[in-house]
Amino acid sequence: MSQLRRLPKFEFVGPRSLAEVCALTAEAAAGEVLLLAGGTDAILQMRRRERTPRRVVGLKGVRDLAFVRETGEGGLAIGAMTTLAELLAAPLVRSRYALLCETAAQIGGIELRNVATVGGNVAGALPCADLPPALMALEARVKLSSRRGERWVPLDEFFPEFGRTAARDGELVSEIGLPRPAPGSGGAYLKFHDRHSMDMTVVGVSACVTRDAERGVVRDLRLAFASAAPTVFRARRAEALLRGAALTEQALEEVAEAACREADPRTSWRANREYRQALVRSLTKRAIGQAWAKAAANEGAPS
Amino acid sequence: MRSLVEVTLRVNGIDHEVAIAPWRTLLEVLRETLALTGTKRSCGEGQCGTCTVLVDGKAVNACLYLAIEAQGRDVRTIEGPPQGDPALAEIQRAFAANGAVQCGFCTPGMVMVTRALLAGNPAPNEDEIREALVGHLCRCTGYVQIVEAIQDAAGRLARQEAH
Repeated sequence: MSQLRRLPKFEFVGPRSLAEVCALTAEAAAGEVLLLAGGTDAILQMRRRERTPRRVVGLKGVRDLAFVRETGEGGLAIGAMTTLAELLAAPLVRSRYALLCETAAQIGGIELRNVATVGGNVAGALPCADLPPALMALEARVKLSSRRGERWVPLDEFFPEFGRTAARDGELVSEIGLPRPAPGSGGAYLKFHDRHSMDMTVVGVSACVTRDAERGVVRDLRLAFASAAPTVFRARRAEALLRGAALTEQALEEVAEAACREADPRTSWRANREYRQALVRSLTKRAIGQAWAKAAANEGAPS
Repeated sequence: MRSLVEVTLRVNGIDHEVAIAPWRTLLEVLRETLALTGTKRSCGEGQCGTCTVLVDGKAVNACLYLAIEAQGRDVRTIEGPPQGDPALAEIQRAFAANGAVQCGFCTPGMVMVTRALLAGNPAPNEDEIREALVGHLCRCTGYVQIVEAIQDAAGRLARQEAH
């Protein structure tokens, strides 16, 4: 019963502020330290001995990283240690970022959402993470902080390969920034899995559509995928096919086909490559259709 | 590795000073150090919900929570505080009265998530109850009686409130 094994031994530090975390990560050699956010993935990885850090930096006490607020430009700033439950409860997220709510609500049960964090879901770099596709479709940027200062990286450049991020030594994900959604836009996240919310995502598709109401065409489309490649990714070639085009059955087929070519799913016990490709094809069409309908419903609504 | 760390864990309103290794989970410390074995251990992955406890009033999986990170927080388990928790007791009575317990292994987790649910939403509808149970597996009674028990518990607590 390997899942019941104890965790590997480590030292623990519990900093109280971002500055303290940065001081701790600056001293550490690469791979030596594990930053523990909610721990809902990292604890399992340690239990399976996929990660055996010498030192764990527990971030639950770093409350200056738990916030959701409007930025000066009317966008959204989400602190990395904001839990999914806190994200779902934030009035600004509920009113303006329905796609984020829809996605977060599909992650785990309440016990997981009470501890799992936005930053952990991003920094974990898992291809099956559900929040990164939604954040990518909303054009999120990631703020990386270290003792050297801070820098921003677009989320769709944040996962260079499986399990890795653009964070360099000593840097941690401290904040996610989102622009204000365009008027007349709508989003949908569709994921395929066995047991409601509780199972790993077999394939997840996040679509964000902006309508050109006058011409009745798609002004903008952003598509991002979970569990359809070694990393979460944006299907830019597929997106481009629909920009400025009418949303016809034929156009949808072509976008879905293009998304399928950009995807590179793997075979695992959960589903084989061909099955996942079929899921990418059909979920892409459905997600765009739903996002389009929501965009139409949002037209004229203040955003 | 020099391992043991002295921490104070507040569990069911009582402060326990314990020396624990930092890699031990809250579940391990509750069951093995504090002998609070009402909280059950099953999947160890946050899938089954049997180890659900409340930390600062919020339901969490104790198998995925480091005990050392529970320091300075208010942990509540199925055992409840020594002076009793009327709401917790009423929920347990509702589970018994509605036949929501068969082997009983999932029950402590179900009861604790119900405690958290009803604290925030005293009159949940069936969808809200089922949503709260998403992270809980029961392998014998099925979920119908459990949902009924939670509806009954909500009614009992509302009546308790009215008195």
